[in-house]
Amino acid sequence: MNLAAMQGLLPLLVLGLGAAVLMLQISIRRQLGWSYAITVATLLLGAAAMEPAMQVAPLQVTPLLRVDNLGLFFGSLFCLSGAVTAVISRDYLRSREGENEEYFLLLLLSTLGAVILAYSTHVAALLLGLELLSVALYALIAYPERGTLPLEAAIKYLVLSGAASATLLFGFALIYAALGSLEYAEIAVQISAGRAATSPALILMGAAMVFAGLGFKLSVVPFHMWTPDVYEGAPAPISGFLAGVSKGAVFIAVLRWFLESGFFQYSSLLAGITLLSIASILVGNLLALLQTNVKRILAYSSIAHLGYLLIVLVAAGVSPEPGLAVEAGGYYVVAYVITTLAAFSLLGLISRQSGDREYDQLSDLAGLFWKQPGLAALFTVALLSLAGIPLTAGFIGKFYLISAGVDAALWGLLAALVIGSAIGIFYYLRIIYTMTTVGEQANPGTTADMLVGSRLVVYLLIFAMLYLGIVPEPLMGYLRTIL
Amino acid sequence: MPGLQVPLEHVLMMAAALFIAGLVGLMVRRNIIFILMSLEVMLNASALAFVAAGAHWGQADGQIIFMLILTVAAAEVSVGLGLVLLLQRRFKTLDMDNANRLRD
Repeated sequence: MNLAAMQGLLPLLVLGLGAAVLMLQISIRRQLGWSYAITVATLLLGAAAMEPAMQVAPLQVTPLLRVDNLGLFFGSLFCLSGAVTAVISRDYLRSREGENEEYFLLLLLSTLGAVILAYSTHVAALLLGLELLSVALYALIAYPERGTLPLEAAIKYLVLSGAASATLLFGFALIYAALGSLEYAEIAVQISAGRAATSPALILMGAAMVFAGLGFKLSVVPFHMWTPDVYEGAPAPISGFLAGVSKGAVFIAVLRWFLESGFFQYSSLLAGITLLSIASILVGNLLALLQTNVKRILAYSSIAHLGYLLIVLVAAGVSPEPGLAVEAGGYYVVAYVITTLAAFSLLGLISRQSGDREYDQLSDLAGLFWKQPGLAALFTVALLSLAGIPLTAGFIGKFYLISAGVDAALWGLLAALVIGSAIGIFYYLRIIYTMTTVGEQANPGTTADMLVGSRLVVYLLIFAMLYLGIVPEPLMGYLRTIL
Repeated sequence: MPGLQVPLEHVLMMAAALFIAGLVGLMVRRNIIFILMSLEVMLNASALAFVAAGAHWGQADGQIIFMLILTVAAAEVSVGLGLVLLLQRRFKTLDMDNANRLRD
């Protein structure tokens, strides 16, 4: 491995080194403040290491990883999101007794997995990134000792995510049996060389299984059953990490696999994805109407959002020039990750862990506008962005998706998107409405005793959301140059 | 001796049968230990398919992926067993039906 390759892998090296340093620090002397500082510093350095890495991009480092602008951009997005989660968790964990240092170690490892996913161009790298991401998350979900819900959520996630990994791997094994390659680019070469013609059934079945496995991680209908349960049981900052970073990273990995290995030429696969997308949009939005727990509402809303994102895959496959679709997907992922992180972070701060449950029922939020106008106003902005109201990042993201869909003439999907968004506005507004009603529920978290770090982070997230909604051109232009 | 000594289809069918057995076990078993075992069977079924395909193409890649799967499965199950201990301590049972407070 030469120097250029090392430079390209700098973000991964920084994160790995940070994890090793953190492990040493914990084993020498337990000190939460130090662990927290090392984690945040490592994640910020990891994001900053994108700059030197970009100078050597694009560069293929071993068949496993490719350093290119797409991977670097989203890698740094995931690093920053990990840092946000760490800051919010610090506030969230304040009331928790016992040893909390490993929490940050697990968070760091999980983020490393997400960054590897953004780099991966080979089945082995995909497997390693995916498992690093999820195995650390199992432990993070079960971390709080309050009640039994986190434990139950962690076991559910472990069993289903393990089954999803096995399905994914079986699919790749079938593709490997048919084509003799594990590298995305090589798979594309074999398909276009006509080797696929000897066993088309094997390849289609393999691709369907891979997609089913990844669909689990993306929680698209009909593989969504675990999502609301796990999000409800997990600590709020981790639910945000799961919904934002974990799904975002898997989506980027799917996008890469799909585009680079040339699977979009199978029209039956595209038809399947279209069905999954429509089902996710409708089921996610309709079931969100029935929920009374805010975390479950956000979980169903994330299912619907992933349904919207799948439009990108279909559009990239159908239209002769996939550039616009990929660009729309990139923008939507950025907007979605920021918005979801903001929503869950604020919910975590509002419902700071106290006693044996979080204050995450809809009725717990009643009267929030009168008691803590600051938090309520910020939460409102996050919800409006999720709903896709103009002047927020969510609106521009949706607008971009629609233009990509129109470009590829996907009228059925666009109809589902419009209907889904209309239903969505209703349940987001219901949360906002509840916050304005007068209620007498006790609510312990107040803006006054928020740590400086979490206050700063929340303001930054809201600012980013509004900035991307009002002045989207810089990011659009940037994405156009790198994709 | 290079290459696969039996037809690739037979091994793939065998792997598929193992995979389905694991999947069925995952769905019908209620005891968490058996659920984790079924998960292992599923992961190993895909590992078998990789080894067979690797031998078919005369490449080492299949076996390398097999080793990666082995490692990953070990990591997954070790975290799983940690959770099993917690489950036993909190619920005094290993039956997953008792852990069903999270639902619509």
